[in-house]
Amino acid sequence: MAEPRSEGSLVRYYCTYGKGMEPFLIDEVKRKLAAEDVCQISGKVLFSSSAGIDRVSELKAAERLFLLLKKDSPVLLPAHTNQAKASSLLQSRVLGDKDQWSSAVMTWSRLQGELSGKRRTTVKSQSTALGVTRKTGEEGRGSQELKREIVERGGQTCGAEAQTLEKKRKRDEGENESSSDKNAEDQRTSERDRKRHCEEEDEEERMGLHHNVEGSGRNVDNTAEDLTVQKVEHGTTTEGRDETLLQPSLFKPEPPSPAAVTFRISCKCTGSLSRYYSQQEVSRVIGVGLSRLMGWKADLKNPQLEVNVYLSDDNCLVGFPLTRLPLANRSYIKTTGLRSTVAWAMASLAQIQPGFCVVDPMCGVGTILIEAAQDHQDVCFLGMDIDDGQLKKANENVEFAELGNRMHLLKASSMTLPLPSSTVDAVVCDLPLEGSLAPKQTWLPTCLSSSLRWRESSVSVVPWFSF
Amino acid sequence: MKLLTHNMLTSHVKGVTKGYPLLIKATEVKVTEVDFNPQFVSRMIPKLEWSALVQAADELGHRQDLPVELVPEYEKNEEFLKKVHRVLLEVEVIEGCLRCPESGREFPISRGIPNMLLNDDEV
Repeated sequence: MAEPRSEGSLVRYYCTYGKGMEPFLIDEVKRKLAAEDVCQISGKVLFSSSAGIDRVSELKAAERLFLLLKKDSPVLLPAHTNQAKASSLLQSRVLGDKDQWSSAVMTWSRLQGELSGKRRTTVKSQSTALGVTRKTGEEGRGSQELKREIVERGGQTCGAEAQTLEKKRKRDEGENESSSDKNAEDQRTSERDRKRHCEEEDEEERMGLHHNVEGSGRNVDNTAEDLTVQKVEHGTTTEGRDETLLQPSLFKPEPPSPAAVTFRISCKCTGSLSRYYSQQEVSRVIGVGLSRLMGWKADLKNPQLEVNVYLSDDNCLVGFPLTRLPLANRSYIKTTGLRSTVAWAMASLAQIQPGFCVVDPMCGVGTILIEAAQDHQDVCFLGMDIDDGQLKKANENVEFAELGNRMHLLKASSMTLPLPSSTVDAVVCDLPLEGSLAPKQTWLPTCLSSSLRWRESSVSVVPWFSF
Repeated sequence: MKLLTHNMLTSHVKGVTKGYPLLIKATEVKVTEVDFNPQFVSRMIPKLEWSALVQAADELGHRQDLPVELVPEYEKNEEFLKKVHRVLLEVEVIEGCLRCPESGREFPISRGIPNMLLNDDEV
């Protein structure tokens, strides 16, 4: 189990991913984060890394990022167990000991602060060193201060400011973070994403379980929380940073009343356990147990901490989400097309090298090229499409991502491409292999032969089939 | 359309054999400042048809002192790289057309995007 330490220490995370993405994610965490103890279980990749959270949150193949609290053997209830006994067993297996939860919440709070604060490495190390000292020296008091700090942030921002943010969110699309949240939700339910990714079903199911109103409220609350943290940090000196984070009352008129972390359980049950309990019942049982164990209060609408529990016949997994939005929601893409994780995987398969010219003959809104351009600075990208509407959105995306110097657009047909032979180094494309977008049976060979003409060496065609 | 893009385009009208480089007829040209990345320019220069770039810059009246020949050891010559950077990435044709040197077929440029689509009888 992880402890709050300087950047040199290991933290255990897990990520969810879309179908077919696990080899890319496993490779990515090893390559980019020097991850240790990498393993894959039922839709999640677990790993330990000492890299900063800002680097961890830049994973491209992952959907959602979590701090791992525990991974354990499965919770298997014996046959004909009575309700009380089953509840007790479930609580004892899932919850474990108090210190584990306190430590995890400390780590989670630190990581959240680092994600929103975007501090420098030196300041980060200093803060965490102080945090470790406080934790080992006086744990009870440290926990109290942490709780107070969280409550203070929540209480300060929940009122009129949150309402204003909510209204703004509804009015302005694409203007601020809250609007991006709403856009992300809308896009998430778009037909194309639903067709391509079964992973999204989990997300939708959870949201349906807890209602959209809660989701909206959580988004607004977290946005306000981030603002408060940044505001508080601006008013500090270097040596007082850690002190301020744990004791914002120094800068507030009234002292806060001691209270607990508010939380919510998001539970996923499969296998034999789901025959005894519905997911709502398991959430309630675990929530009651956690309240009793830690003294925390459940809040389904605007919790400060969300606890994700996955119970299957293979294992028991508990963690805290570190990002509200999936990592797959890119900050640099305005209008999304192909799922960004898939686009990144396709770009990585193209093995782009510096000095390459990369072409997407049916670029649509430009998702694959924009994804590739993030990882490759000295590469020229050329996107083509036959449709004016798509090119207009691609143009907006290029401007939004500030790629006008390296990514260029053309209106052209994929059947007769206006490029001389052997001028292109890589071709990436989301080929419409089915449906109304693919007009004729002979279409694909013609397009491929046209692409092949450009290169001196062979073109890799990587099939990517949706499920 | 930046001149980097223009350097990559050719006319693909049926029957045309010498469709490169396309002639530029610009009615609106914009020069915007773009962050200078010497590595990018160095990497792109080997991919360029140099004479076509010089000719295109001339057509637009933005060649300034870009040399007719590629200078040796250009990677270390930051002054030269900046000249290339300016011509390649800062000069942009917003409105106008591209003209096939052999057939005379014109491809319109609107809002910076060339339209290279052909009619059915031209493919």
